[in-house]
Amino acid sequence: MSENNPVHDVITIGAGPTALSAAIYTTREDLDTVLLEKGVIGGLASITDWVDNYPGFPDGVAGLELGERLQKQAERFGAKIELAEVTGIHPKKGLVEVETTDGIKRAKTVLIATGSDYKRLGITGEDEYYARGVHFCATCDGAFYRDKKLVVVGGGNSAAQEAVFLTRYATHIDMLVRGPKMRASEVLQNEVKKHAGKITVHYNTSTDEIVGQEGKVVSVKSTHNNKSVNFPTDGVFVFIGLKPNTGFLAGSGIELDEIGLIKTDTKLQTNLPGVFCAGDVRSGATMQIASAAGEGATAALLMREYIDHLARTPQVHT
Amino acid sequence: MPKNITIFTSNTCGYCVMVKKYLSSKGATYEEVNIDEHPERQKDAYALSGQLAVPVTVVTKQDDSQQVVVGYNLAQLAPALT
Repeated sequence: MSENNPVHDVITIGAGPTALSAAIYTTREDLDTVLLEKGVIGGLASITDWVDNYPGFPDGVAGLELGERLQKQAERFGAKIELAEVTGIHPKKGLVEVETTDGIKRAKTVLIATGSDYKRLGITGEDEYYARGVHFCATCDGAFYRDKKLVVVGGGNSAAQEAVFLTRYATHIDMLVRGPKMRASEVLQNEVKKHAGKITVHYNTSTDEIVGQEGKVVSVKSTHNNKSVNFPTDGVFVFIGLKPNTGFLAGSGIELDEIGLIKTDTKLQTNLPGVFCAGDVRSGATMQIASAAGEGATAALLMREYIDHLARTPQVHT
Repeated sequence: MPKNITIFTSNTCGYCVMVKKYLSSKGATYEEVNIDEHPERQKDAYALSGQLAVPVTVVTKQDDSQQVVVGYNLAQLAPALT
């Protein structure tokens, strides 16, 4: 074991609620734990305006604050967070090697907890006007739309939550929902209704094209009941669901399901020895912060069990 | 180290927090312009970045050349600090 390249007990890929919860447990078991994060510590939760359904916060909590609290709690017990991007992962001589932008790291166990990111529409204008009128983060970019008109695309929890958040800036928001009703929770739908003066929900409305002029977004072309409808706007915020962050696993041999989520067994282990997975990126995940944190804790206990088993079993490496 | 660093942020932006954490971890000092508290400075951020987004990090080097990094982009931030 080299001091320059030590073998950690646990490396987590990602530092969102899943990994941070896992780290609280592994570090309390005195397992040397390193979290690798390429984006925001706290994950998608940290760029969510407000979280009302995480246990222990009766009045809700800002996503940013929840992420910071989880980080502090994990660091209190010794978790080390490193800002680096993982580019590959493979088992080697009974350990797991993790290739990162800062070099190769080694661990007895790895927890993939890379979560998910917002899906894109894949329509004309979306890429062209990205960050210049098309956005995927209301808490980051909403402030640029003070006294402006906006379109929010989507009808799920994120779309409803972020549309309500954007009312603090925008004069009016057209919310385009593809189906006949919203998928958001009743509570969030009621929140949208409370802002009926500022948010107009358009059901059965597909989003077809984002139109710009002179470098700025000016409208969204949509279809409602087979008729073309144009929504003049200054900006578009897109929240149409989540896609798993698994791009870095190409060539790793880790099995994914048909929508790209990572398959695990009942012990949250992937098909690669020592590589576990939990949270939004796992096949079967419920995409909730509370369940992500719970899975993180479960994964931690199962990784400890795996490490204990490794210590008791003679290793033969070819 | 650069001569000066300015970060345009907003109250609720998680990526802004990450840029500040990263700069602090590298021992870099910076001036923060919060566009929620100073909405009149939004146009400055847009003029510098061409984007309606924060964080925008403006690194002024010793030779007074400027590098603008939009978002939390370690691949651009790290070399900008040298």
